[in-house]
Amino acid sequence: MSVFWTILIVLALAALGYILGRQKALNSVGGDSRRMHSLPRYYGWNVAIFTMVPAFLVLIAWMFAQAEYVERHVTSMIEPADIGEGSNLSLVMADVRRLASGLETAISTGAMTADQVMALDASKDDIRGMLGKVGVAFGSDVTPHILAAAQNYREIVSAASVYRAIAVLAVALIGFAYAYAQTNGSFWARNRVEQVTLGLLILCSMIAIATTVGIILSMVFETGHFFGQYSWTEFFFGTTWSPNFHGNSQLGMLPLLWGTLYVSAIALAVAVPIGLFAAIYMSEYASPRFRSIAKPAIEVLAGIPTIVYGLFALITVGPLLRDWLAQPLGLGNSGSSVMTAGLVMGVMIIPFVSSLSDDIINAVPQSLRDGSLGLGATPSETIRQVVLPAALPGIVGAVLLAASRAIGETMIVVLGAGAAAKLSLNPFEAMTTITVKIVSQLTGDTDFAAPETLVAFALGLTLFVITLGLNILALYIVRKYREQYE
Amino acid sequence: MNDMRIAERDVETNESKISARKVQVYYGTNHALKDVDVDILDKTVTAFIGPSGCGKSTFLRCLNRMNDTVASARVEGTIKLDGENIYDAKVDPVQLRAKVGMVFQKPNPFPKSIYDNIAYGPKIHGLTRSKSELDGIVETSLKKAALWNEVKDRLDSPGTGLSGGQQQRLCIARAIATQPEVLLMDEPCSALDPIATAQVEELIDELRSQFSVVIVTHSMQQAARVSQRTAFFHLGNLVEYGETGQIFTNPKDPRTESYITGRIG
Amino acid sequence: MTDATANASARRTGSLLVPDARTRRRNAAEARFKIYGLAATLVGMVALVMLLISIFSSGTGAFFQTFLHIPVTLDAAVLDKSGNRDPAEMQKVTTIGYAKVLNASLQKVLDDKGMAVAGLTDKDVADMISKEAPAQIRNMVLANPALIGQTVDMTILANGRIDGYFKGRVSMESAQLDKNVSPRQLELADKMRAAGMLTTDFNWGFLTSGDSSDQRPESAGLGVAIIGSLYMMIVVLVLSLPIGVAASIYLEEFAPKNRWTDLIEVNIANLAAVPSIVFGILGLAVFINFAGLPQSAPIVGGLVLTLMTLPRIIIPARAALKAVPPSIRDAALGVGASKMQSVFDHVLPLAAPGILTGMIIGLAQALGETAPLLLIGMVAFVREFPGAPPQGFFDPASALPVQVYNWTQRSDPAFVERASGAVIVLLVFLLIMNAVAIILRRRFERRW
Repeated sequence: MSVFWTILIVLALAALGYILGRQKALNSVGGDSRRMHSLPRYYGWNVAIFTMVPAFLVLIAWMFAQAEYVERHVTSMIEPADIGEGSNLSLVMADVRRLASGLETAISTGAMTADQVMALDASKDDIRGMLGKVGVAFGSDVTPHILAAAQNYREIVSAASVYRAIAVLAVALIGFAYAYAQTNGSFWARNRVEQVTLGLLILCSMIAIATTVGIILSMVFETGHFFGQYSWTEFFFGTTWSPNFHGNSQLGMLPLLWGTLYVSAIALAVAVPIGLFAAIYMSEYASPRFRSIAKPAIEVLAGIPTIVYGLFALITVGPLLRDWLAQPLGLGNSGSSVMTAGLVMGVMIIPFVSSLSDDIINAVPQSLRDGSLGLGATPSETIRQVVLPAALPGIVGAVLLAASRAIGETMIVVLGAGAAAKLSLNPFEAMTTITVKIVSQLTGDTDFAAPETLVAFALGLTLFVITLGLNILALYIVRKYREQYE
Repeated sequence: MNDMRIAERDVETNESKISARKVQVYYGTNHALKDVDVDILDKTVTAFIGPSGCGKSTFLRCLNRMNDTVASARVEGTIKLDGENIYDAKVDPVQLRAKVGMVFQKPNPFPKSIYDNIAYGPKIHGLTRSKSELDGIVETSLKKAALWNEVKDRLDSPGTGLSGGQQQRLCIARAIATQPEVLLMDEPCSALDPIATAQVEELIDELRSQFSVVIVTHSMQQAARVSQRTAFFHLGNLVEYGETGQIFTNPKDPRTESYITGRIG
Repeated sequence: MTDATANASARRTGSLLVPDARTRRRNAAEARFKIYGLAATLVGMVALVMLLISIFSSGTGAFFQTFLHIPVTLDAAVLDKSGNRDPAEMQKVTTIGYAKVLNASLQKVLDDKGMAVAGLTDKDVADMISKEAPAQIRNMVLANPALIGQTVDMTILANGRIDGYFKGRVSMESAQLDKNVSPRQLELADKMRAAGMLTTDFNWGFLTSGDSSDQRPESAGLGVAIIGSLYMMIVVLVLSLPIGVAASIYLEEFAPKNRWTDLIEVNIANLAAVPSIVFGILGLAVFINFAGLPQSAPIVGGLVLTLMTLPRIIIPARAALKAVPPSIRDAALGVGASKMQSVFDHVLPLAAPGILTGMIIGLAQALGETAPLLLIGMVAFVREFPGAPPQGFFDPASALPVQVYNWTQRSDPAFVERASGAVIVLLVFLLIMNAVAIILRRRFERRW
């Protein structure tokens, strides 16, 4: 029985439980709902919850366990020869799954019997053709191993799905019976339902914690493996980055850190003054009409995905800088450079700085502005000498948040900064960043035992720690700042 | 009204400092102030009284063009300071506000040191050539505001750390440090406790020797205590203007009388 | 008060009507300051305009494609030797056979019209057709075997370089240096265009077909990427809306103010600012390496994006709940509703527009996210469409922003046009989502 049908049956049971529970509670007080502790629907919900929640928990647990089991079992049947050029194990496994589901379809539509399916032989039968007839398109030809794996896969899955359905439905029925037996008019159904609801709410809010724990654990674990194979002093203080998939790699982080900081510094040098001045202009000077155009326009910059900025850097800004600045000045002839990535990233961060600054400048009480203007200060004197000093902590917080964003930005540097790990001062040279190297070490063929792959986790952890520090510091400053004017 | 001490009358000798004619103020389409004619005398405390929303604060803010900072406000008519129309296109509000200082309802010291709070005005207007001159201005201003003895040992500590009454006196000191000719005060005591209020009122009385002081107040007792002349505003109109003693003891307009006796307001 | 008289000399004198030198200087500084502000604002706006112009000017081409219109004689001798139209046997004829038929047809047309250009071999002429075209015809014939033996008027893709020539990407000069195209071919292309055989039309295939390999940019499309993105958005929506709303309700309405909830709050604020690539590492380590879910699958992408989007939904959702005044809660509690009833019956419906707006904006951000998807294998070259849900969630797919990245990594410059075109599609989706959010906000925004 498929998951879909199992879920549907459980839901139907729950609906039935709702109706019966409600009815039983009403009957127990002779139909006079005023004599019940809770509203009738809560008795219904109580039974429905007890039917659904445990059953679904069992279902989820079962599915994870089953996926794990089947995958391990079937994967072992695939041999390296089955994995074609440019393909990988997961793509082959997708073929296996598709084939298995095709076979299943063939059985359910009656084109074949289960025995016929098991008797198929890839070397004799035209499996593609057969599947084509039942409406399952299959891209490549089927090799014997894949067929065997798929037959095996189908068999395990179909057997498991029967047990799964039995287990899930049994749990649902037990829950149903328990809650139904409890139901009578004096039972505190509302409190029970509300308790369960509250429990679910708490569970949902725990996901944030679980995510952080997951991030830290997943990276700490693999970073531990990495430092088991590679000296941590060389990682943190090494000045050469040259991974080599035949071993003997030099994996010093400093060039990457340098590139990251250099790009971020340029981005902030662009974004902070522009963002700050734009925020000041729009909140203190601009006419309502100008503001109604300029403000959304700058906010649109924040809604544009980073890949778009990356493409902009790659096809426009990079060549422009190369042809008009770098080459005439003799500073290099690479389209991707620290300057390209920094400028484009700066543009991306402008709205971030300006909207945060806007909030912060507006949090400065009007009475301070009045005080200054009332003494005969010009608006700009008021802003520079009263508003900005008062807003300074908040603005520092905003800049730190912007810095954290710049340091963690990936797509712009992947497309704009280049891939060469270098310790250089020339902003028109291609350099690379931590994020770029995480991407390049973790995409393509990866061997999770090699330090060249594991180093990505150490880089990720470093990045996470740096941004976490910046974020917490910034959030703390901004929070303190807001309290000051509340 | 037994506690009402009516200030001594010595106003006859003073000449007019500000004269307003046919002043209208609109907030958007709302006609907030209608046909106000007033002559404010030099070296005199003038009180504006009236119920909330009567336009007294609005008129006060016209006198140093603080209404310019409200986008929807529009002012018509003429207001002359020493014979010059302050709404003339050639007048720079910045220069005007150096001559007509303002103290606000809520104490609003800048988040800077006490010293920097006072020095702010003289610095922006370039009133001093040396640090010692600036020190002098800070000291005299604080002395005039009767705050010197309380803060002279902690001029570097932040102005926001003072008590409410001290903060308001700091704001007054800040306003007089720019050497204005007129000092506008918008309900300067409404956020203060009675003791601090008494201190500020005493200070206002002393300031009269050098400035023309205009004070908006919601308290009739305060008007009676500190002012020599009083203007009563009601629903955007200037109802009655005259010597404080006369307004409080023998009002000519029935609306003034109703307000004084507590029937409206 | 002796100091006072000393200071009185510092009092400014002079007419108000004549600004003194210092005031003029200060006003000049004021004007300069204002200009800096205006300039900064304009720089931001100009950057936006430049970005859009750059993307649109290089991307609009992707929506148009050069097609070749010729009658193709589907020679039975080549395509179905046995002559009994058995689909199983016809399967055995590969695209090479169809290419032969196609090339012969093109040669014939050129000969008939006398358009042959000296110095062009048959292979050169054949190369002007997309390598994808034979497969197109093969699928057509297999779907309708009755076509064999007939001469059918067909519209097929021209080669990417020929397409580039009409779009200005390829010129006679560049063709001289290019191994893949020669000036003579372009000359012939000009003639064919004049004869109406080559036209540039709207390219539906860009929106509906899958990716294609490096040699055939002309047939690369976004179909798989759009479906993949759609699947991921479904996963994100289904998971993050209930979880996000539940978490915000708990934190805003029920959570006691203690260290524990403080920790959750700092956590959420921090997660919203964690670099997205870190979520990719999480996805790789947890969902793929640990839980054994398949690589490149929309379900994994959806899960990763859900974790990333959750804090970005919880923050506005909490703000929306907070904006509902306490008087509403008090009113409900006052008539004897339980806390839970007051929240679900009164507060939540009032906060719903704000929550939905935040949700849509969070989805829009998730739609444009690229970096985490690179790490969970969505960069793999995927041609096949994923199956129907729910199984399709586990099939390999691409995603719009990843497809953009993918195409920027190809060597043929024609893919730059495709990448920009894909960005346009992505931006259109984002525009629609944000417009819906704005309308929702305008329509239902409540001020208390």
